[in-house]
Formats: sequence, C-alpha cells, structure tokens
Amino acid sequence: MSHDHHHAPVASRYDLAPERSDIGLIRPDRFTGWRDWLTTVDHKKIGVLYGAFAMFFFLVGGVEALGIRTQLSRPDNDFITARMYNQLFTMHGTTMIFLGVMPLSAAFFNFLVPLQIGARDVAFPRLNAFSLWTFVFGAFVLNASWLFEFAHLSGWLKSFGWYNALVYTDFAPANGWFSYAPLSGTFGQADAALRAPRFTGVGTDFWIIGIQILGIASLAASFNFICTILNMRAKGMTMMRLPVFTWMTLVTSFLIILAFPAITVALIQLMFDRQFGANFFNPSAGGQPVLWQHLFWIFGHPEVYILVLPAMGIVSEVLPTFSGKSLFGYPIIVFSGAVIGFLGFAVWSHHMFTTGLGPVPTAAFSLLTMAIAVPTGVKIFNWLGTIWGGRVRFTPPMVLSLGFIWMFMCGGFSGIMHSSAPADSQQQDSYFVIAHFHYVLLGGVLLGLMSGLYFWFPKIFGRMPKASVAYWASGLVILGFNLAFGPMHYLGLAGQPRRTHTYHAGFGWETWNYVATIGAFILGIGVFIAFANLVWTAFRGEKCSSDPWDGRTLEWSLPSPVPEYNFARSPVIACRDAFFAHKHGAHRLVYEQDGGEAGVHMPSQSWMPLLASCGFLLAGLGMPMSAMGVPHAGWVVIAGLGVLFLGIWLWALEGPGGYMLKTPVAPAPAPAEAAASR
Amino acid sequence: MSHSAAHAHEAPTSTGIDHKKLIMWLFLASDCMFFGTLISTHLLYRKLYPTGFTDAEGHQQFVQKLFDIELTSFSTFILLMSSFLMALAVSAMHKGGQLKSFRRNVLGVIVFGLIFLGCQVYEFTHFYHQGLTVQNSVFGSTFYVLTGTHGTHVAIGVLWLVLLYFYSFTGKLGGHVGALDVEVAGLYWHFVDIVWIIIFTAVYLVEYLGPDGIWGNGLPPVPGVTR
Amino acid sequence: MMSRFIARVGLLVLPVIALLTAGCSEADLKVRQSTFDAKGPVARMQYDIFMDSVYLVTVLFAIVGGLLVYAVIRFRARPGDENKPAIVEDGHGNPVTEILLIVASIGALVFLAIPTLKGIWYQDDVPEDRVPAGRLSVWYPRVEGGVENYAEAVKDQVLEIDVVGKQWWFRFEYPQFGLTNDGRRSVPNELVIPKGVPVRINLRSEDVIHSFWIPKVAGKVDLMPGRRNRMWIQADETGHYYGQCAEFCGDSHAYMLFRCEVLEPADFARWVRAQKQDAPEPPAGSKAAEGKALFAAKTCAMCHNVSGHFGAGAFGPDLTHVASRKSLAGAWLDNRNPEAQRAAEAAAGGNTEASAPVDRAVQKANLIRWIGSSGVLHAEAAEPTRDVKPGNRMHYYKMFNVAGLNETKTKLTPSELDALAEYLLTLK
Repeated sequence: MSHDHHHAPVASRYDLAPERSDIGLIRPDRFTGWRDWLTTVDHKKIGVLYGAFAMFFFLVGGVEALGIRTQLSRPDNDFITARMYNQLFTMHGTTMIFLGVMPLSAAFFNFLVPLQIGARDVAFPRLNAFSLWTFVFGAFVLNASWLFEFAHLSGWLKSFGWYNALVYTDFAPANGWFSYAPLSGTFGQADAALRAPRFTGVGTDFWIIGIQILGIASLAASFNFICTILNMRAKGMTMMRLPVFTWMTLVTSFLIILAFPAITVALIQLMFDRQFGANFFNPSAGGQPVLWQHLFWIFGHPEVYILVLPAMGIVSEVLPTFSGKSLFGYPIIVFSGAVIGFLGFAVWSHHMFTTGLGPVPTAAFSLLTMAIAVPTGVKIFNWLGTIWGGRVRFTPPMVLSLGFIWMFMCGGFSGIMHSSAPADSQQQDSYFVIAHFHYVLLGGVLLGLMSGLYFWFPKIFGRMPKASVAYWASGLVILGFNLAFGPMHYLGLAGQPRRTHTYHAGFGWETWNYVATIGAFILGIGVFIAFANLVWTAFRGEKCSSDPWDGRTLEWSLPSPVPEYNFARSPVIACRDAFFAHKHGAHRLVYEQDGGEAGVHMPSQSWMPLLASCGFLLAGLGMPMSAMGVPHAGWVVIAGLGVLFLGIWLWALEGPGGYMLKTPVAPAPAPAEAAASR
Repeated sequence: MSHSAAHAHEAPTSTGIDHKKLIMWLFLASDCMFFGTLISTHLLYRKLYPTGFTDAEGHQQFVQKLFDIELTSFSTFILLMSSFLMALAVSAMHKGGQLKSFRRNVLGVIVFGLIFLGCQVYEFTHFYHQGLTVQNSVFGSTFYVLTGTHGTHVAIGVLWLVLLYFYSFTGKLGGHVGALDVEVAGLYWHFVDIVWIIIFTAVYLVEYLGPDGIWGNGLPPVPGVTR
Repeated sequence: MMSRFIARVGLLVLPVIALLTAGCSEADLKVRQSTFDAKGPVARMQYDIFMDSVYLVTVLFAIVGGLLVYAVIRFRARPGDENKPAIVEDGHGNPVTEILLIVASIGALVFLAIPTLKGIWYQDDVPEDRVPAGRLSVWYPRVEGGVENYAEAVKDQVLEIDVVGKQWWFRFEYPQFGLTNDGRRSVPNELVIPKGVPVRINLRSEDVIHSFWIPKVAGKVDLMPGRRNRMWIQADETGHYYGQCAEFCGDSHAYMLFRCEVLEPADFARWVRAQKQDAPEPPAGSKAAEGKALFAAKTCAMCHNVSGHFGAGAFGPDLTHVASRKSLAGAWLDNRNPEAQRAAEAAAGGNTEASAPVDRAVQKANLIRWIGSSGVLHAEAAEPTRDVKPGNRMHYYKMFNVAGLNETKTKLTPSELDALAEYLLTLK
C-alpha cells in the first residue's frame, strides 16, 4: 500500500517524502503559505479562516445596516431608493445571521471543541474543510447578487444581448431574510417555458441557492461536530465533564441537523415554483403561502437558538474563569440548554400570531413561548450564582460577558412581552420587534461572541489584545447599541412598522430615529475598533503566556499558539475543569503514553474538499444566471454538479491518508506514578 | 488493508461506534426531517384539495384513476427485496470480506434499484401523458417533488453501490474498513427503502381508503369540493 | 480598577437613561399611530395586557438586574485575592434554590398567561348576531334617513367590511350597502366606520401578504392570499385615524398607508348615501371635460372606475369620489394643508385624530405629482419627478409589455396632465 513509508514518524510535515496517493496525486502536506491555507484540514486553521470570513461579513452586514440607518435618520429621506433599501435590509439580515453569527460560532466550534475534549482533530478533517469552503462559496454566491445589482445600476449590463431592462427588477434579493411567499414566489399561470410570473427578480434566486449552499455547509459541519464530541473525547471526559461550551456546541449542532431540513425543503419548493412553475406557494393555483411561513419558522425559530446557544456557551466559560469559581449548577445549565433547544422546535408559530391561526393554536404557542422563558431564566440565575461568592476580575472578556447577560436579559424581557399574542398583535412587525431581537442577537450574541474572541484570542495567536482599546471598544459598542436599539422599543409602540424605507414627518418618530442612527454609527465604530484591535494583535500584538487568564479547561494547558497536533500526549480526565483542578492541586492531570518518538497520527491535507465546494460555486452562480437568461448558464450548473461529483469521488479514492508526527514530550510521570503522587 | 486507514480507524471511539457509522445515523436523522417535511406538505395539500386535479383540457381527474397501484406495488416489492440483498451484501463483508458474495448481492441491489427507477420513470411519463404535471395542480407539484426527491435518493444510492462494486475489484475493499464502508452504504439504502414504504402509504395507498377509494362505498367522489 | 469601571459604566449608561426619560412626555404617547393611546375596546385590551407584561418585567428586571449589579460589586476581586487559595470545589448548584426559582418564574408567567388567554378569545370573538347593540337594524334606522340602504336579509347582522389588500393600496367594500368592487362602488384607502359599534372585518389579499393595522383601534391581522382572515374593531371616538400595512409587501411597502374615518352614525349614513351617488358631469368645454376625454383616451379608464362616467375599470382604485378624500396614492400624499393640520391638532389639545379639511390646492398638486411621476409624462415635459411609488401598476404596461398599450398612448403633456387633474378634482 502506497502510504506505507508515511508510517515512519517525522518531526514535521515538511519532512515528509513526496509520495503519490491511490489516485496518483501527491497529498499537499508540505505546502506553506496560501496553498497550505487552501488545503488545510487542521481544525485550528479552519477555525481561524471561519473567524476571518465571519468578521469580514460582519463588517459588510454592518455597512448595510448603516445604509439602512442613514436612510431612516430623517423623515421622507431619499438617501437611497426603496428598492435599494429593501435589498439592504434583506442582505443585512441574511448576512448577519448566515455569514456573520453562524460562521463566527463555527469558528469557535472548530478551534475549541477538539481542544476542550482532549482530541487531536475533528472526526472528519476533510469534511471540515469542505464545510468551510462551501460556506465561503455560498456566501460568495449570495453576495454576487450585489455585483450584478451594481452592474445593473451602472448600466454596464445593458451591453449584453440577453439583458432585458423590462424584465429585471432586483438583482440583489429584496424579499426580507424570511422571503415570505408569494412575494418571493409566483402568481398566475406558468407559461410555455414553465415559468409563472414573479413578484421579485433574480435576487430571490440568488438568495434561494445561496441559503441552500450555506445550509449544506452548516449540516456537514454539524454532523462532524456531533461525531467529534460524542466519539473523540479523551479518556475520562464523560458527557457530564464536558465544558459547557462544548455542550452548547452539541445542542446547537443537533438543532442544525434537525431544523435545516425544513428550510432545505422549503427552498426546493420555492425554487420549483420559480423555475418550473410548480404551485407550492402560488395562491392562484391553490398553493398556501402560509405553508412557507410554517416551514420557514420551523427552521427559523430553532435558528434563533442556533445563534444564541454558542454565545451562552462562551459566557458559561468566561464567567467561571473571571469569577475564579466553578460554574454554579453545571448540570442544570446543561439541561436547560438542551430544554431550550427542544422547546425551540415547539414555538415557531409565535412568529405567525397575526396570520389568523385561530385561537387554540395561538393560545398553545403563546403558552409554550412563555414556557421557554423558564430555562432561559434558569441560565441567568446560574450565571448570577457563578458570580456570587467569587472574585470578579473585570477583564475585557468579562465586561463583554456581563454586557451579554444584561442585554440578553433585556431582550428576554421584551420577548416575554410579545409571547402574549394579543399584545403581540400590536408589536408584530413593528420596531419593537427589531429592538427585541437586536437586544437578543446583537446585545446578546454579538457581545457573547466578542467576549469569546477576546477570551480565546491569546490562545489562538499567542498574543494579547490591548486591554485599553478593548475597554473603549466595549464601551462604545454597549453605548451605541443601547442608543440605537433602546429607542426602537418606543418607536415600535408608537406605531412605526418594520421594513419601511421611509416615513412621513408628523408621526412622532423623527427624534428617536435620529438618535437611533447616531447610536448605530457609534456601535459601528465600536465594533470596527474591537475587530481592528484583534487584527492588529494577530500580527503585532504583545506575546503572552499560554494561560494568561488562569483558565479552567484543557485548551489552556496547551502552548499558545497551539501546535498542530494539539496534545503531545493525550490527557486523561478525572474531573470537570480538569486543568484548573490540576493547577490548584485538587486533581493532577495525567497523560497517556502516546506521542513522543512513536508519533501521533495526523490527517493528510487535501485539495478535494475545495474542489468539491467549487462545484457549489459554479452551480450556485449558474442557477440565478440561467434565471436571468444568460446564455449557456444552464451548462454552468451542470458543470458545477460535475465538479462536485468529481471532487467527492476523488476525495473518496484518495483515502484519508495521514502520517505519524513526532511530538516533543517532556519527561512526564506515567499515569501510575501520577496517581500515586496525588 | 492500508496502514493509514488503520491509524484512522483503530483508535477506539468514546461511544464504541465508528465515526462513519455515527455520521451516517446523524445524516439519516436529518434526512428524516427532510422527508418528514416533504410528506407533510403532500398530506396537508391532499387534505385541502382531496379530489385530484384538473388536466390541460379542464377535465377533473381523480388520482385513484391515475395511479397504477399494481405497478407501484411491484416496484415497492422490488425495493424491499433490494434491501434484503443489501443486508446479505453487508453480512458477506462482515463475515471476513467474502467479496464474491458481496458482489453478487450488491449487483442484485443495483439491478433492483434500477428496476425501481425504471418504474418511476415510466410512471412519471405515464402520469404526464395523463395530464398530471408539476404546473397544473398542487397535487402534481407535491407528488412529483416528493417522489422525485426519493427517486434522486435511490439514484444516488445506486451510483454509490456501483462505485463500491467496481472498487471491490481493486482489492482495497476489505477488512474492518471495507465492511464498515459497505455497512454505511447499507444503512443509507435501508433508510431510503423505509422512506419509500411511508411514501407508498401516504401518497398511494391513502387514495384507496375512505368512501372515495376502491374499498369505499363505490359512490363517485363529489366534484367541486376543492376548497 | 473597580471604581474606574463603575465610573465608566455610569458614564455610558446614565446619558442613555437621561435621554430616555427626558424624551418621555404625554404627547409622545399620543402620536398618530401610538399603541399607548387606545381608542377602542380591542386596542385597549391589547394595551392592558401589554401593561401587565410591563409590570411583570419591571419587577423581574429590578430583582434580577439588582442582584446582578450587587453581585458584581460585592464580589469584585480585591487586592490581595491573588494570595488566597483558589476556589477549587466543584459547584453543584443548589437544587432547592433552583427549584424554587423555577416555580417562582412559572408563577410569574401565569400572571401573564391568564389575561393572554382571555385576550386571545376576546379578540377572536367576532361579534355576530348575538350582540344586540351592534345589529344594523338597531342602530342604522335610527339615524336620519338611513333606512333604505341595507337589505332586509342583513338587518340582524353587524356591519361588515371586506378589506382587500393589493400592491400597494387597500380596497374597502361594504357588501351590506352594495358598495363592492363588482358593483363598481368600492372605497379605496379611506375606511369609514360608525362610532361606538363593533364592525366585522373580512380580510383577503389579491397578490402578496399584507397586514391591516390601525394601532389606536386594533392590533394587526394579516391579509393572506388564498385565505380569509377576520377580526373585529370598534372605535369609541370620532376622528381621523392612521393605519398602515404592516407586512413587507414589496418595493413600495412603506407607501402602503390608509386612513380610518370614524363618524357619528348619522354622518356615516350620509356618507353611505354619498358613496352611492354617480359622479357629476363636468360642464361642457371646461378643462375638466377635456380631462374626462383624456381619462378615456389615455387608457386610465381601463383600470379605474368612475361611476356614471366609466365602468370598465376594476383593477385600480375606484376614483368616483377621489376628490372627497383627505389623501391620495395609498394615503401617502396628504391632501390637507400641513399648517392647517398642525393647527387643528393643537386646537384639539394635541389630539391627532382631529383633522383639517381638504386643501384643494394641495390636492391638485398631489394629483399632478402622483400621475406625473408614474412614468406617464411626455418626453417634452419637465423632468419627471422621483417616483411617488416605485413599482406601482401605472407602470403596468411597461413592466409586462401589455399588448396595445405603448408609451405614446399613455404619455401626457403638462397641459393634458393639468386637465386630467381638473377632471379628478370634480369627483367629490
């Protein structure tokens, strides 16, 4: 077998002899530079890439948000057109959810989960790379709609023969991140080309295929993480010893694999409506638009918890660290996370209280929605219990985590307010709802994720972000955020509806919209400074020790930056927060006798995940382009599917590969000695 | 068996279940939700519009008349039998890599899968000529998309098994890893089969129940009761 | 460290709180679409439940937020802590406390759940024939000269109004009075209801999803294509109310507003009678008469109905009484003089339901702007103004290349536009 001489352990993958795999290609193990990043299967590098792309898209979504706020800063404003506004809010929501928060959470999953469970990698390293690149290309397909939109606005598209100014309306999606049918769908009868008339332009097709591709990326990543967490725990790392962040990753991944199929099917149905004249949501043919809402929110509500739970996991790591005290009520925090995930599937219709469900379903969903406040409250109580009796250090991550609790609590309270269906019929689709979910998703999730960034950044890069800048940035974020979204509670109750690109003077909304815009800019500056501080730190920051915070979980036992093999010897776990217990003498952390000169098994790098993902890029661009009428675009779709198949096929044939890497092992006591010395 | 593969898979997992098998179970859990959504869509619309669809000439058509239940029962039986052969193929691999037996059985699965797909293609063209299209009714949309998605699953399964079949001639399919690869494909195949049983019940058999069906009171269905 | 931190937090949070409280005045709670200023039983019930939730949440906020602030300050790290041994014992929580807290939070939610359930059934309970005071025959004949206007068959019913949503305007129909689109008598964009009686609203949509919302009278219910939703409303004070589509419905969603005029029953009867009048014939040779000819020649009449003049149009808003309305173009353009309107509101003590009368000059300017900006201006005319409503269906011929409609046939010169506006102004 061709891999045989990989069996000899090497000190570095650059020492590997070039050798051909089963398909006659040399595995790209010895690359450095950009080719190393493109072919990497190292969960830490993949995590960093996820984080970098997520932060980039956070800024894109933020610029979109500032466009929205600028337009709304004064009444009857004409800073941008109605259509541009609709495209901006659609892309802002979609970008922040699918390209900002989810990938940033995925960055943490990737980087942390194997380290926290004492593993050397994820269960399927190449699948992990595939998830990353599929996400990147899905994001590109979604945002390619902007390129077409700008080409259309600048008149450049007119020079093409296929361009028909009478037909095109929007190129970037303009139907909201929820894309309610039939606005996103069709009406009337299909013509001979099997197309029914549509309310929106090809932007919706970009949206459909973009979300579909992003869904595949999320699903693949989630299968991988569940497998990793269930299967690759170090010896002694029982489920009830898992760090809470890992637990929340597990719950989130289960939510993803169970919730995404609903949107996948809904997107397929919508695509059939638009491309082939099917009648799923076409009311003139008997389709029920309300079905789209059900399918969308069966996905969409768990999605909210998919966004929130990782941030809750981060906070559950940060609070004990900086309170110098273990998490209060670990089992109940884990259990409440699982309950939130479970109940998340039972409350979707509270997004649809105004659609005429009838009193019984409305009452049922009202009560279930109130019920979900209980496990959420339990989490807050336990975080409070964690601080109680501790020694709270106000480091930047801690300040951001406390901000998370505070803002999330506010968002939770306004959530209780519209769990009541009659009250919600005044609040639904008003600025009150915008205030609510931004308190949850921005004040909550973004602060949580920023807290995580500042917490683990020293571990990721071995450099400490400047604390003074971090304090300023956190202050600006919290101030700007409250200025931007606090007044929206009032605006909503004063009757300002969502998703309107302008409003008249005389309705009493002028002042607070202006204040909100100022707040949004302060928030934008704060987030930019916070991110800029991190980017600067990654390259120029001050070097720091491997455990600057007196950390509790296993990742802090490793050098910073973490070597590619993670653990020179695999740890054996005896209790929760094993590294903290080890440092402070409660339980010594012992290690297995692996690694060293015998080496540890490392997976080989591969081009194939990238190649397979490129198939999605081609197919994803080809589909909306064929909807536009670009000649031969249909062949691009077929070529894309071909590339996808080729990539997967070669992926299977080249096999997992792998080589043995020597790890530097300090002479350590054998488990028996260590146990004796305890 | 390759050494590298040995490194990758000999490490015991925390649950004792192989990674590949676990991830396939997770995928199937996800796929359950996927088909659940499609089947629910079909059943919801069937409840709203119980009497069939209107063809191109404007005639009310009833799906009971459209369906060829004998043919569909036959293809269902074929798919069930393919699952049996798949189980034999997996068992052959587990009994120490009996490649000949594996090839014989898996070839049977492939042929049966192709017969099933052939029946479906025939059924689709037949229904199309009878006037049921994706465009002309909600029933057409849900029917074609649901059964078509299942057909795609079967086609992917057949492709997978064909690749495994040819791979078995390279001599690299063997041992624990080979048995595992075949078993994972088997899990997928059984799942697709089980889903078909549910689709067969929820889409086809259900039309023959109740007063409108062949076991009903024989009275013609009430036209015009569409909404 | 700590004091600096508190100072920082205080510096950040205090101005926010100060701004929020300074901004609060009674007038802010009575703005045009305020949900705080309920003027009918449905909105009042919804407001009461909202206030229940505010009380609940304030108590919870005080407790949890207070404890959080206390804990953070009380248990802050102090100099010398680093010399103390670390707290290594595993926190298992405190089951009794946890259970008590869970029970308490369930109890708190029951406090909200009870009015919620009551409210759900209250707002769903559309008053049918068993609300004697709401029956047409009870209140309608009593008003001066109203009797002939409803059919005998509906005398035991409450007043019923069909609301139809279209991109981007509302159509209101009063089937009991024969004011329907099929009968070419529908009322676009300005709903008129009598004061003090429950009104049943049937909601449907002809294209995408819209939502019917008059914040001071009732919370919103969606207009779903392919479904028929219903609700009931009642306004207890006369006046001019403001409503808006609350579900994103495409390009001009922001421009999909409507008004609700609440009248004394006697005025309502008069209004119904007026709606049934045909449009008056413009004097021969007048500018308006020229406009009437253009209305047909420029294909306006294909979509718009003017009872007594043109009866073909069922697609666009009915224009028979367009000049009687206080707004134009889906209530986006206001036909009242802004100064006069401010004065009227001030005179009524800040009551935004007070309304100035229509200002004919403003109305004509609005008509010219609306028609002129809708892509129908002739090339030789001045630069068309920015679209009042992007994507509106007066572009229809352009978007869908409808056969027989082309630009030359629908373009208007400025003088033609003026004549058309003069004609529309006669339709009171």
